Amino acid sequence: MKKNICLLFLVTSVLFLFNACVKDTDFNQTDAIELTPLVELDFIFFNINSQNFTDIDANNLIVSDTTNYDFLNSEVATEAIIRADFYFKNTNSFPISLITEYQFLNDANEIQYEVSIPIQDGNTVNPVITEFTEIIENNDLVNLTSATKVVVNTIANSSLNTFDGNLDLQSKATYYIRLEQ
Amino acid sequence: MKYLFSCVFFFCGFLLFSQNKEVLYGLDETPQSLMLNPGTRIVNKFHFGIPLMSHFHFNGGSSGVSAYDIFQTSSIDINTRIRNKIFELDDRDFFTATQQLEVLNFGWKNRKEFYFSGGIYQEFDMVLYFPKDLAVLAWEGNANDIGKAFDLGEINTRGDLLVVYHLGATKRWNKKLTIGARAKIYSSLLSFSSTDNSGTFETRISESGNNIYEHIATNINLSLNTSGIAPLIDLEDSSQITNKISNRAFFGGNLGLGIDFGATYEINEKWTASASFIDLGTIFHTKDVQSYSTKGDYTFEGIELLFPPLGSDESAPPYYGDLIDEIEDTFPIDTTYNTYSQMRPLKTYASLKYNFGKTVGANDVCNCLDTGEDQRYNQSIGVQMFNVFRPKGPQFATTLFYYRKISDYLTLKTTYTVDSYSYTNFGLGLVTNIKMVNFYVVANNLQWYGNIAKAKSVSLQLGLNIIIDEN
Repeated sequence: MKKNICLLFLVTSVLFLFNACVKDTDFNQTDAIELTPLVELDFIFFNINSQNFTDIDANNLIVSDTTNYDFLNSEVATEAIIRADFYFKNTNSFPISLITEYQFLNDANEIQYEVSIPIQDGNTVNPVITEFTEIIENNDLVNLTSATKVVVNTIANSSLNTFDGNLDLQSKATYYIRLEQ
Repeated sequence: MKYLFSCVFFFCGFLLFSQNKEVLYGLDETPQSLMLNPGTRIVNKFHFGIPLMSHFHFNGGSSGVSAYDIFQTSSIDINTRIRNKIFELDDRDFFTATQQLEVLNFGWKNRKEFYFSGGIYQEFDMVLYFPKDLAVLAWEGNANDIGKAFDLGEINTRGDLLVVYHLGATKRWNKKLTIGARAKIYSSLLSFSSTDNSGTFETRISESGNNIYEHIATNINLSLNTSGIAPLIDLEDSSQITNKISNRAFFGGNLGLGIDFGATYEINEKWTASASFIDLGTIFHTKDVQSYSTKGDYTFEGIELLFPPLGSDESAPPYYGDLIDEIEDTFPIDTTYNTYSQMRPLKTYASLKYNFGKTVGANDVCNCLDTGEDQRYNQSIGVQMFNVFRPKGPQFATTLFYYRKISDYLTLKTTYTVDSYSYTNFGLGLVTNIKMVNFYVVANNLQWYGNIAKAKSVSLQLGLNIIIDEN
């Protein structure tokens, strides 16, 4: 009799141990999990003077440079970036106004997205800062992330042959990222 | 991604102090208690574990988060709950998992009263410390933490899959002292560890003035040791991988040596003390070893354009390519094949118990449930201490227990365990001995069985043995 009671106790206890339950939880919430980090990343910088223009020609009004930027076209970028804010800080000590253009090209050198920034004239004593923010999202972002290179054109309104001064650019990008299943 | 999240958080919900078997320790009615203290006073004459069924152990959890914490039905968005947990945890929180399967276990007492025991078991053991800074960086990005140095040294993980061959001896030297030792040969099937990392990553306002920020990687020194993993990478299907791993089980893996030892001291008829050291040993990784490391410092300030005067047939300098090359040159991944050795995670137990109740196993007392050469009691209470050495230092647990031998057929032990992270862990162990068949089942965190998702850890051990006792 005692043996049977012990067995009953054992079976009951084992059943209890193996009947643990999970409740008040919803594992389907994994569908809603998303990582939304905000990433600040330096972009392009340069410092040019009048010689950069005149080395090409005394009356040259435009200097250009190009860099690959495959990052934009990477799988991570195309799938995860939902918005990109490009911030440009131009410090101009040329006594004339300038324009800087940023052309985002694909592998076929077709312009996918373009930013044009008018820069105020300054002077060597009091350089003038021109700040500009370009917010890119939705379809514009699709165009941007199909680019693989950036062409930067700096255009002067008149010859810099006789002027001293510099144009200093600092820039960064703020990438709004969303990672989900 | 869904399953990854599910696995991670489900896994997180069931791990804590994976190596601690607080209920099984000192539960002398099961031969497996010898595996936790070779100096256990054992009264069997012979035991034989049913192959592959004598001991199964699973334990898993997290020190700081349960499945319920993340997946509870609530009006609060799950991403908010995850974010709150990320900021609540710190780099000393951890996730662990341990699984053991006994292939063979046997024991016998010889004429000189030595109890020999041996066997084979397979074990998987893993610990992952929570890399908080990396988690914050991944979840939030760097935008809100300009000027903060994220610590990459928080990366700390280790995992082992191995088979252990063991043979031990236990001897009751006199009426007070029982001592025992067990020699072990480890055959490591797979192993990885990344425990000695350092370095920081910081985005700060530029001090050079070249650009807006400086992204600085400082004193980076990261390493990962693996053994037995590299040859599996190129295998095409799971059966090939299984075969390869299986072949290593029979001393074909990286071998190691270890020892367990322990003692039980019966201070007097009422008080008993015991202690043991488990897995004092090392595995020597000499085969299929691949270690990866990188170190260096780097500051990224963006891409500097130089506007060189170019002819019509000239192209711009490869700024981006040069940048990538520079980063890769700064942080080359060195692959080495040097042998290395690794200590097993040493576990220690200690206990003190007070015996009371009806006497059992006494020659001179009739009110007994058992007969034997020495008197024992059918109840005891006591305290146990447990410690396991992990990569970031020891982890402690303290247990209060109540033991009762209800009859010849049934014994139970209940426990209440406290550790740094959980103050309410109730455990229960049941052992039945019906004729020669010994069955036991042990579980903890019983208070959460109504909703196990709330448990930060769950442990389950069970097994089946054949036991022939002295009588």
